[in-house]
Amino acid sequence: MERLAARWLWFVEHWPRAAVFAPFVPLLLSWWAVAEIEIFPPAFFPHPLEVLRRGVELAYKGVLGAYLEDSVLRLAVGAAAGIAVGLPLGLLVGLSDRAHRTLWPLLLFFQAIGDIAWLPILLVWFGFGLTTMTFVIVYTVMFPVLMNTALGVRAVPEVLPRAALSLGASRARVILEVVVPGALPNIVTGIRNGLGFGWRALVAAEIIVGTSGIGFMMFDARRAGSVTEVVIGLVVLGVLWSIVDSWILAPLERATGERWGLVAR
Amino acid sequence: MKELLVERLSKIYFDPDRGERIAALEEVSLRIAPGEFVAVVGPSGCGKSTLLNLIAGFLEPTSGRILLDGRPVRGPGPDRGVVFQSYALFPWKTVLENVAFGPRMRGLPKAECHAKAMRYLELVGLAHVAHRYPRELSGGMQQRVGVVRALANEPEILLMDEPFAAVDAQTRMTLQEELARIYEERRPTILFVTHDVNEAVFLADRVLLLSKGRLREEIPVPIARPRRWPRLVEDDDFKALVARTLSAVRAA
Ligand SMILES: Nc1ncnc2c1ncn2[C@@H]1O[C@H](COP(=O)(O)OP(=O)(O)O)[C@@H](O)[C@H]1O
Ligand SMILES: [Mg+2]
Repeated sequence: MERLAARWLWFVEHWPRAAVFAPFVPLLLSWWAVAEIEIFPPAFFPHPLEVLRRGVELAYKGVLGAYLEDSVLRLAVGAAAGIAVGLPLGLLVGLSDRAHRTLWPLLLFFQAIGDIAWLPILLVWFGFGLTTMTFVIVYTVMFPVLMNTALGVRAVPEVLPRAALSLGASRARVILEVVVPGALPNIVTGIRNGLGFGWRALVAAEIIVGTSGIGFMMFDARRAGSVTEVVIGLVVLGVLWSIVDSWILAPLERATGERWGLVAR
Repeated sequence: MKELLVERLSKIYFDPDRGERIAALEEVSLRIAPGEFVAVVGPSGCGKSTLLNLIAGFLEPTSGRILLDGRPVRGPGPDRGVVFQSYALFPWKTVLENVAFGPRMRGLPKAECHAKAMRYLELVGLAHVAHRYPRELSGGMQQRVGVVRALANEPEILLMDEPFAAVDAQTRMTLQEELARIYEERRPTILFVTHDVNEAVFLADRVLLLSKGRLREEIPVPIARPRRWPRLVEDDDFKALVARTLSAVRAA
């Protein structure tokens, strides 16, 4: 046991990203134990080994990969559009007092209507298809990006744009060289949150609308009575997001916060 | 270098929370000749920053005029370089990029901008930190960068708002001597705002006393240059002028 702990410490030291997995070890063990003594029938509560076996099988058949690709692609397209809309709008709301006054109450109103709450009316308007799903993702990603960008712009100390103007910068250059970099830590936070919400919204949308994707796979499996596949979906969702967030987004957020950070020492 | 003329300048703020009008500046007139070093001294809240921000073009006057070389000032511009109390360096740019910012905004080629920035950094002995980020430097070093960033853009006049108020006393004296040296070598036109009477008398050719938004008195400082602290702390003329200015500030 001691050697195992030492091994683990060595592992974490040499590959710090592995530390992300540490808290899952007891969780996995408890799952294993509960499944092993069969408190619940296996059809309700599958054994981790069975989930693994079936997961590998689905991956081998290419089903898992194809569904995953569909989901990730949808998220990527929707998120790109959400950022493309949210970022400039956020700059506008952050920069212009008038835009802030008129748009902020509207933004709060629409932000409060969660992504999925739109689904009923979207289904009426656009039917069960890609348009509906894309709308939900764009909507979900746009708001955190927009709100955080606006907050970031407003948090840039007044003296910085003033300094730039006094050095001869045009308004456009001030936005490009001062406002955007100054708001960048917040913008990255907005994108991180947006992607997180978007990922969840996507799965919800796939369950209701979907013809493919991880969410669809889970819903389809339920219909076929395969709880194992539902659990595979859960695990894949969690693992994928953890990796993306803790290996890419969180470090990016930290880096911009430190490098760009306006926080005084 | 050109003349700065301020004519009957007033600024009234409106405080919406208290529903009050605050007359921060009332009928202030002054003239700064090319190559002159003028200090405005007064207690905090007397309107120093308001005066400077109006000249810099960050604020609109309620009434009055500001003329630089006969032309009215409209908004901020590179003809008036500003040094801020809080340094206002761009944290995401290196020291070199900060100093090169002004020349770059005016369309000079990049290599030329960097060469120029380097020359100005050498002027204050900071060439060795050119590629560092501002947050890696001490407050004194950051403000040296702030000063040369404004200088490198070759403005008609340099506006400085309590630039050395945030550093420790030791560093402050070094920075004051450095500014005196730069002034003696290059003779830029400077309007320097401070609440520190010693600093005002040490640096300026002329000290203007501002109190409750009005200019009260003008005190010429006929002390020879170069000015350095070891000599001036012993100098009776300097001490007498400081004493006179101090009592004027307290009486105003
Ligand atoms: N934006 C503002 N709105 C309302 N009152 C202001 C504003 N800025 C400054 N004041 C007031 O104007 C007066 C002069 O301020 P300021 O020019 O900053 O003085 P100083 O720089 O000499 O300390 C003070 O009473 C201050 O409270
Ligand atoms: Mg002030």
